[in-house]
Amino acid sequence: MTTQYSEAYAKLENSLAGSSLSWLSELRTQAKEQFLERGFPRLSDEEWRYSNVSVLDKKAFSPVSDSELGHIDIADLDSYKLADCWTLVLVDGHYSASLSDLDGIADAVIVSSMVDALKNHPEKVKSYLGQAVDLKEAGFKAFNQAWFSDGVFVSVAANTVLDKPLQVLHVVTSAEVLANTHHVIALGTGAEATVIETFIGCAERYATVSVTEVFVEKNAGLSLYKTQLESDKAVHLGGVYVKQARDSRFKHTNFAFGSLLARTDVHTDLSQASECDLNGLYLGVKRQHIDNHTRITHVEPYAISKELYKGVLNDKARGVFQGRVIVAEQAQKTDSDMHNHNLLLSDNAEADTKPQLEIYADDVKCAHGITVGQLDDKSIFALQSRGIDEETARNMLTFAFANEMVNKIKFKPLHEQILTQVLERFPQAGIDKAWL
Amino acid sequence: MSSSAEEIEKVIGQKYKEGFVTEIEVETFEPGLNEDIIARLSAIKGEPEFMLQYRLQAFRHWQTLEEPDWAQLNIDPIDYQAISYYSAPKKDSEKPQSLDEVDPELLDTYKKLGIPLDEQERLAGVAVDAVFDSVSVATTFKGKLKDAGVIFCPISEALQEYPELVKQYLGTVVSEKDNFFASLNAAVFTDGSFVYIPKGVRCPMELSTYFRINAANTGQFERTLIIADDDSHVSYLEGCTAPMRDENQLHAAVVELVAMNNAEIKYSTVQNWYPGDENGVGGIYNFVTKRAECRGDNSKVSWTQVETGSAITWKYPSCVLLGDNSVGEFYSVAVTNNYQQADTGTKMIHIGKNTSSTIISKGISAGKSQNTYRGLVKVAKSAENARNYTQCDSLLVGDTCGAHTFPYVEVKQPSAQVEHEATTSKISEDQLFFCQQRGISAEDAVSMIVNGFCKSVFKELPMEFAVEAQALLGLSLEGSVG
Amino acid sequence: MISIKNLHVSVGDKPILKGVNLEIPAGEVHAIMGPNGAGKSTLSHVLSGKEGYTVTEGSVTYKGQDLLALEPEMRAREGVFLAFQYPVEIPGVSNIYLLKAALNAMRKHHGKDEVDALDFLTMVKGKIKALEMDEKFLYRAVNEGFSGGEKKRNEILQAAILEPSFCILDETDSGLDIDALKVVSKGVNALRDEARSFLMITHYQRLLDYITPDVVHVLADGKIVKSGGPELALELEAKGYHWVEEQVA
Repeated sequence: MTTQYSEAYAKLENSLAGSSLSWLSELRTQAKEQFLERGFPRLSDEEWRYSNVSVLDKKAFSPVSDSELGHIDIADLDSYKLADCWTLVLVDGHYSASLSDLDGIADAVIVSSMVDALKNHPEKVKSYLGQAVDLKEAGFKAFNQAWFSDGVFVSVAANTVLDKPLQVLHVVTSAEVLANTHHVIALGTGAEATVIETFIGCAERYATVSVTEVFVEKNAGLSLYKTQLESDKAVHLGGVYVKQARDSRFKHTNFAFGSLLARTDVHTDLSQASECDLNGLYLGVKRQHIDNHTRITHVEPYAISKELYKGVLNDKARGVFQGRVIVAEQAQKTDSDMHNHNLLLSDNAEADTKPQLEIYADDVKCAHGITVGQLDDKSIFALQSRGIDEETARNMLTFAFANEMVNKIKFKPLHEQILTQVLERFPQAGIDKAWL
Repeated sequence: MSSSAEEIEKVIGQKYKEGFVTEIEVETFEPGLNEDIIARLSAIKGEPEFMLQYRLQAFRHWQTLEEPDWAQLNIDPIDYQAISYYSAPKKDSEKPQSLDEVDPELLDTYKKLGIPLDEQERLAGVAVDAVFDSVSVATTFKGKLKDAGVIFCPISEALQEYPELVKQYLGTVVSEKDNFFASLNAAVFTDGSFVYIPKGVRCPMELSTYFRINAANTGQFERTLIIADDDSHVSYLEGCTAPMRDENQLHAAVVELVAMNNAEIKYSTVQNWYPGDENGVGGIYNFVTKRAECRGDNSKVSWTQVETGSAITWKYPSCVLLGDNSVGEFYSVAVTNNYQQADTGTKMIHIGKNTSSTIISKGISAGKSQNTYRGLVKVAKSAENARNYTQCDSLLVGDTCGAHTFPYVEVKQPSAQVEHEATTSKISEDQLFFCQQRGISAEDAVSMIVNGFCKSVFKELPMEFAVEAQALLGLSLEGSVG
Repeated sequence: MISIKNLHVSVGDKPILKGVNLEIPAGEVHAIMGPNGAGKSTLSHVLSGKEGYTVTEGSVTYKGQDLLALEPEMRAREGVFLAFQYPVEIPGVSNIYLLKAALNAMRKHHGKDEVDALDFLTMVKGKIKALEMDEKFLYRAVNEGFSGGEKKRNEILQAAILEPSFCILDETDSGLDIDALKVVSKGVNALRDEARSFLMITHYQRLLDYITPDVVHVLADGKIVKSGGPELALELEAKGYHWVEEQVA
């Protein structure tokens, strides 16, 4: 059934970003061939063994051209925009200049849609696009690269600090729409930036595919947030693929709250003495299926990787955490630490956790820890014995479990937004937000 | 070798200080194992008839067993017919009634080991049962313990004086058919300690047994049985040493602990059997079955072990958590050097509701040694809300040793919470240089690092043993970080 | 303070330093920049006494004595401090214990009594605050679970407590974000006085915006090929190391 997408996109070919560039057409063709051969991943692919995405084959989601965009509820959209940010809005996979706010960004920084970047800085984009993804791996990268409609291009010059965070707001307006975007974030030596990817949509069934390639040059630092708040009927496939140069820092904070079926890949390759810090919180209710897959490759010595993912699962929700850490033979003195904790609130909720350490160097420090469990009766009892009713006690403990991740957010407007989202998604009786 | 590597060697690889031989007249059985030997053994001990029958039953079962197939150990075959199953100082025929009657050579031996048996010289608060080869030579503070209602005596004496009590519990935790070495032990055990703490009694002092293998070509097969009745509490320590000999000697012990309602047993071991020389010649084969049953609700058993000796160590002090809310703990430091092999860990079997267990294991491997943690956490369907926390850390010294971790987790109850954490690290030249660059000598730095690594286990040891354990690792107390 | 004359150093048979000459008078801050593999870290390791390096020629005189003849811990006790490029972790040993052990080793060497526990704590808490570090770092194992930036701050904390006379900062700025760099620089600047000298090894010119050196040296292929004022760093950043290498060749 992979051909349905091939046909749908054939009609849109000329409206895809950079359609006049031959090097890009070549990249797209390679990717298309790869996708037509493999299709979407299957359960037999080891890294997809817990997530069945065959819905993408069975149901036809449709890409739309930039002239067919659906209606936007401005007030609703504004409620997701964060204060004190540069804002770039993508509607159904296409840049909307009128909804974005990028006026006044420093000259040393490029923030633009992928369509515009391919017009204005084609050589610059060419040096990055497709360089951080491996199309041979099972996944949605080939699909994305073959047919992405638009995206975001961010480039920060050496020793430049982006003064405010950039929020990239993805919106899907209508049922059955497929939004497929590709992004590049590149930081020069010693540069620093904060980028927030926010995913929202109408209350219908639709699909989002988003691939972000990140290049962090020497001694540079990127803090990237992902806030996935898609509709509870949506399918979301998102990937972040990172190349870190020497002494660089990459911090990723992943809030996976929405979608019926969601998968996020975060892969990073670490050069000498670079550092990554991957954090995640996934909340699942009803029949949600939320899969997070991370892969950290220590390519060179002295790099540090830290990872903490937490999941709270209620009803019949299923959470998946797959964390791979690969330490190459020459990556001596690696310091790696990975933890995944899951809280099951119902007997029918499920957590699958699969840490995987592949260590080929001998002088390294690698730690990992996983837990899957329910709320601790002793803690509930302790609160009850102080006069708190059981329901409130349970809510407090659940919230406290999730709040550790919320508190990792340094940027206040985002902290506020996520806190509200967490409280909305779980029974909050007895929790007074004013005290938090 | 670089100088800092030498420092590490110096600290970790100090000479075995307890390797002397006591010259004393002994009565020793000729090597060999058959029903006659067992009958003679039982007779010389003056045991009741049920005991002889128990031994023979174990022996007959043992003959049907095959030696275990070693997963992670390299071992030369053991000739069970070449071992003498009984060796005791000669004067034992008339059991000494007081310390004055104990052979001065023996008193001197224990004094040299740092275990003076004279009550005046002992730190108040520790009662000692001293076992020399196959027999107990002295037990201190018996009178004071008796006043509290506590029975603490050699198991051979308990078989004579409290046969019904022994019969009620012996073999109920580790049956005579449990495993190859447990069966062998049941057939031929010679001595060991017996402890009974009656209901509601908190044992007024630490109890300890000091095991010494002296004679050549013998094995030591000791049997320890500790029963803590309802609402009682006891802390028990054991220590072990042996002379340096070129042949391997067998030590196959069985320890059974029973904790009734609300009872608590704390069992600490500092095992320093002769480990063999730097080429792997000689040393004790230490095959031990230690198991505790938390039979009563709210009962608790805590195993703490510091394993530095033996050519081969094979032991998994375990807790069967039967009672609701019962607690099992296992804290272990296992150090291996030269050609030593250690395969040690624990089993926590959760059966009762709300049972919880903690496992903290620290393995230090140096030289060409192999150090394996092997642990089982099993949660039965009945064990609602069971909790386990496991942490196993390995510290490697040098490139030629090995550390292995085999955690087994079997959970049949969905409300269970099982946590496992593991790390492997290495004392590196970089760490030593870092400390030196801060003005701290390499030797102090090694002490500091090893001590810091073991801290969470040492703090579980009774004070006196903690000192001994640190001394064993070649550390001064100055290094105790805090 | 320190005088390095014609220093030749090899690792195995491979010469790394090929005649380094460097004088750092008391009170001065000297920066060394250079491409990868120029020998910057070798220089810091040789000065602090790390094993694995052979001095084949030349001398290092520190406060009038032959520095190379001293054991590493003796150099430290005499006031040579290396802020490590890659600070190591010491699991199980708390930060505060290490600091106390190090300070006492130094005091003993100088014939002083051990530091009073209460005075020590008060002193450490003051310094940790100045470096905007959380007090809880004192009770955590040395560098265990620290981020790269936290490790680097911890190095400066140790320097602040041990008060060395000669401080080598080996790429202390690498891996720091701007905020952390400002804090670390503040810590270093607070230590500057006329009796103390610094040798700063760095990869990135950005550091020199915050700690102004008296002299900048360029190390290339085992030799100091150019020296100058702070403006040399800017020129280097703009033109690249090839510029220096070409000038020399």
